[in-house]
Amino acid sequence: MSWLLRTNRDSLLSVAVVGEITHTAVEGAYMTSWDGKPIVGVGRGGIVYNVKVGDPCFGWAWGDKVEPGVSADGVGSDGEKGSFRNFPCVGNEVKVFGGDAKGATGVVVGKVGYFPEGRHHVVIHFDDETLEKLAIGDKVQVRSMGIGLKFEDYPDVRVVGLSPQLLDAMGLREEEKKIVVPVTKVIPATYVGQGSGGAPSESSNWDVMTQSPDAVELLRDLRLGDVVMLEDILSAWGRGYYEGGATVGVVSCGASQRMGQGIGVTTLFTSRDVELKPKLCPEANIGKYLKLGARK
Amino acid sequence: MIETNRDRLLKVAVLGEIISPVSTTYRAQWDGEPKIPVGMGGIKYNLKVGDPCFGWASGDHVEPGVTIQGKEKPNPSECALAMLSCIGNEAVAVSGEGKGAKGVYTGRHAGTDDLVWFGDDDLEKLAIGDKVMVRTIGVGLKIRGFDDVRVNKCSPRLLESLGIEVVEGKLIVPVVKEVPPFLMGSGIGFSPVSEPVDYDIQTTDPKAVEKYGLRTLRLGDVVALRDQLCINGRGYYRGALTIGVIVHGASDYAGHGPGVNPILTTSGGRITTKIQPDANIAYYLGLREAPK
Repeated sequence: MSWLLRTNRDSLLSVAVVGEITHTAVEGAYMTSWDGKPIVGVGRGGIVYNVKVGDPCFGWAWGDKVEPGVSADGVGSDGEKGSFRNFPCVGNEVKVFGGDAKGATGVVVGKVGYFPEGRHHVVIHFDDETLEKLAIGDKVQVRSMGIGLKFEDYPDVRVVGLSPQLLDAMGLREEEKKIVVPVTKVIPATYVGQGSGGAPSESSNWDVMTQSPDAVELLRDLRLGDVVMLEDILSAWGRGYYEGGATVGVVSCGASQRMGQGIGVTTLFTSRDVELKPKLCPEANIGKYLKLGARK
Repeated sequence: MIETNRDRLLKVAVLGEIISPVSTTYRAQWDGEPKIPVGMGGIKYNLKVGDPCFGWASGDHVEPGVTIQGKEKPNPSECALAMLSCIGNEAVAVSGEGKGAKGVYTGRHAGTDDLVWFGDDDLEKLAIGDKVMVRTIGVGLKIRGFDDVRVNKCSPRLLESLGIEVVEGKLIVPVVKEVPPFLMGSGIGFSPVSEPVDYDIQTTDPKAVEKYGLRTLRLGDVVALRDQLCINGRGYYRGALTIGVIVHGASDYAGHGPGVNPILTTSGGRITTKIQPDANIAYYLGLREAPK
C-alpha cells in the first residue's frame, strides 16, 4: 500500500483565466417539470448567500439545480470564454479583481453547464464576509492548474478537472495496482442523464436524474461537494456510457424537477477499465478536504 | 384495432428549406481519435430509411434522405416545422426544379434538423436552398381509452400502420429491439419539450454494441426504450416505456449513437412489446417494398 501517487505535477502550467460573476439563471417563462407542472427554479447560480458546499442537494423551496456559493462565466470571445470554462480545476484558487471585495480569495468547487444560449457556470466558494461584499458583474480571476495532470503508473486514468490542491487532500491511495477513492456514493449508469454526449469533458457536468422515486431514494442524503463515483461512465474525450468504466466527480449542484436532469457531478478523473476502486466514506466531501467551512 | 381522435386533428402547412451540410474541423471520437464526420445535413443521394445505422465510411449521425430546416425563427428547434411535423406526414417541394415532388417526413434530428424521404428521380432535381412544405397532422393525436399514453410526433397514418394490437387493456407494439435505460445518452435532459428533440442510443462502447445487438439497427426501425419517460422531455423513470423511431445513424462521439424520436410513451405500464425484425417505418409508410 502506498499513500503517494506518482504524478507529473511538476510539469503542470499555472495559467490565469478571467470571468465575471453571473446573474442567477432564470428563464423567461415558467419551466415545465417532468410531470407537466410549471416551476420557477431558484438558486441556479449567481450569488446564493445561504447555500454552501456541505449543504443538502434536496429540500430547497422551489430550488432547482441549486449551486453552492457564487457562479462566474467567461467573458469576451468564444475562445476566451472557453478558457474560463475548461482550465479551472476543482480546488484552484480564485481572486476577486474588482468591486468592494477586491483582493478576496475563493476556491473553485465545481462546474455546471447546459444553460440557455450555451452559458456555463464555474462554481466558487467564498466565505460569508466576502459574500456580503460581492456584486453581480464583479471580475474574478482563477489561477488555474491541473490540466494535463497524469497518474504516472495508471496510463488509462484520464485526469480531467482535478487540481493538485484537491489531489493532496482527498486521500487517494494505491492498493493492488488500483487507485482507491473515498466516495460517499457509487451511482449506477441508469441514473446518469444530461451531460451524455457533451464535450469537452473539462467543462460542464453530468446530471444524476432525480425524477424516478427509486433515484430519489438512492440520492436523498447526497450533499453539495460530495465526491461520488459514476459506474460504467467514461468521461475521457467527451461523456458517455462505457461498461467497466468509472468517473469520479464532485457534486456541483442540487436536484432538479426537469426530466433527465438532476444533481450535477463535475468530473475529476475517469478510467476506461477497473483501475479506480471506490471506498464508501460518508465524509468524502471537498468542503472538508479544502477546509471551506460550512454554512453559518 | 385502436381507435383515435384523428377526425379532430388540425392539418396545417409548415415550411422548411433544404440546408447545406456543415463541416469545420476534426472532432475527437470517444477514444480520442480525430474524425471528420459526413452524413448530416443536405441531400444524401444514397442513404434512405431502411438502410443500416452502422458502417458508413466516416459517417456520423447519418441522416437518411433530405435534411430541411425551419427558418422563421433563429433557433430551428423552435420553428413550426420542428414542433408540428409528424412522422408519416406528406411533404412537397414548393420551389426549384423539383417543384411538385412529393415526399414523406421521417423524423427530426435536433442536431441539424428535419428529415424528408424523396424518391430517386426527385432527388436528382432537388437543390440545397429549395423550399419544402410539410402538411402536418398528428399534434394532439390520442388513442381512445389510453389517455395515459402520450403520442408524440406521430401521424395518424404511422400510428395506424404500426400493427398495434390491444390485449387485456394493453397496447402491444411490434419493435425490432428493446434498449436498456443506461444506453440512452445525448439529448437526455435537453429541454422539457418532447416534439423537436431526438435522443441517442449510445454506441461508443464496442462491448455494449455487441452485447445488446445494436449493430443490426436500421434507419426507421421502431424500438422500445425501457424505463424511459418522454412526456415533458426525456429521461429515466422506473417502469416507464417509450416506443420510438430511429431517425439517424450511429456515432463515434462519446455519449452519441442512433437517434430516437419518441412516438409513444407512458409511465402507466399500458404498453408492451412484441419483437418483429422488420418493424420499420420504410415498410409501414410504403417507402420500400416489405420483405416477404
